[in-house]
Amino acid sequence: MWHKIMVISEWFGEMGERYKLVKDFNRAGKNAYIAGFAPTLLEAKITSGETSNRHAFSKWMGGGFRIKALSGKALSNSELIEVGRVVLDNDALVRKLISLGWDTLEVHDNTGFNGCKWKLMDFSNLGGILK
Amino acid sequence: MYNILQGGVKLISLEKVSNYQSIIFWIALVEFLIILFLLYKLKFKTKINRLSEFESKSLNDSKDTKIDMDSLMSSIHNAKPLYKELTKKCHPDRFINNSKQKIAESIFQEISESERDFEKLTLLKIRAIEELNVTF
Repeated sequence: MWHKIMVISEWFGEMGERYKLVKDFNRAGKNAYIAGFAPTLLEAKITSGETSNRHAFSKWMGGGFRIKALSGKALSNSELIEVGRVVLDNDALVRKLISLGWDTLEVHDNTGFNGCKWKLMDFSNLGGILK
Repeated sequence: MYNILQGGVKLISLEKVSNYQSIIFWIALVEFLIILFLLYKLKFKTKINRLSEFESKSLNDSKDTKIDMDSLMSSIHNAKPLYKELTKKCHPDRFINNSKQKIAESIFQEISESERDFEKLTLLKIRAIEELNVTF
């Protein structure tokens, strides 16, 4: 019984950590926009993600980490890719995203019709030989 | 239960039950002890793992690993222009047949490795100003 209680408390802890990460991202995006060094307001939210990108630790109906850019114009593909690549180049962040149950990174803007998706597992450097 | 009659006036009827005689008190006490036990178990849960000191330290540190989102935002918005500027100013071809050529090569290599890391690029910019005497 104690084991079950521990499992439940761990589940709540993990969910709290997921929402904390999203909240941190949104806070930083908002501050950067208010301070004036960011031309667009970035906002993250949890989506269902892409089923083909799922892995063993994916959260059900919560595998997508979507970054939405609130810009006055439609962002070009290179701009969207740049935003995604900065996140993907941050190894610690990618590992944290995967361990917290995300499997897909999505970037899109609010006016255009284009968006980008990446499979997080491709950027995690998983599968190396244990030393 | 007892009545106090004083001067023909019924003052009050008191019922005094000791806290320790109440069953609710004992239930609450048991619940409190269970909560304490669970908190204790949660706190010292990781100590069950028999890991080396280094491993357990790094495991504990990983719990507190915080992603610096402010730095991430800076990288998203400012890393690309800074990277372009640095690659132009610190390109090794600008220092051919110069004593600073090797320094320029190492700085340029580091710039290429941290293309989208604004913090590292800022540090490299300072290094370039100090070691290569480049003006921005």
